[in-house]
Amino acid sequence: MKTIISNAVFVASKVNSRHLQVIWMFLALTMLVIGAGASEDVGGIGIR
Amino acid sequence: MILLVAVLVGGLTGWGIAKWQRQTWHSPIFRFPFLVVIGFLPQFCAFYFPLTRHLFSDSQTSLCLILSQIMLLIFGWLNRSLPGMIILMFGLGCNLTVIFANNGFMPLPLETANLFVSQEVMGNLILGERISSASKDILIPEASIHLPWLADRFVFPDLFSYQFAYSIGDVFIAFGAFWLLVKGQMAHPVLETGDLS
Repeated sequence: MKTIISNAVFVASKVNSRHLQVIWMFLALTMLVIGAGASEDVGGIGIR
Repeated sequence: MILLVAVLVGGLTGWGIAKWQRQTWHSPIFRFPFLVVIGFLPQFCAFYFPLTRHLFSDSQTSLCLILSQIMLLIFGWLNRSLPGMIILMFGLGCNLTVIFANNGFMPLPLETANLFVSQEVMGNLILGERISSASKDILIPEASIHLPWLADRFVFPDLFSYQFAYSIGDVFIAFGAFWLLVKGQMAHPVLETGDLS
């Protein structure tokens, strides 16, 4: 348990504001393209 | 799906090119990013979030879709200096136009649906109705569609097991998103951009 926590702290310390900026950009772009697009897969159940 | 693949492939390509050139990949920076969240929210509630989408009538849902896409178009205009954004906006404009011309939903031609939907599922779909509560598409015979060349009339070749219908607007949106991620790093000075090395 102690190792897991220390690993988590280590990973978190590697994440800086620029990484967060990239994540936020991808999130915003994903919302933009999903909102702008209108493709249809019939809920994924219509595959022949 | 095609759109998410474009974002993923665009990101990997931009990052790969930067690596190949031994540079750091810088992500594009959006102006007014909160507008995307505000713009996407009506669609999230009306289409994607299972707990809320059943609360909307079809007319309310189509209103949410149109308002949402108008807000996303405004966001695109405010970020038009980014590479690919004009292409993405053109695609969004195509989709918005055909949605507006067909009672607030994207028309899926009956003839196109027959190409990729099993007969069993087709039997459950109703002409003139939405495909499902999570869908932006409405099933209509091609002859009844306004601006049919902008509708979801294209289907991936049979060699792909995952099949879906998409519009010419979706293609422009996918290409615009791809180009934004590949070339977007050049739009801003290094100090203003995020990076992944």
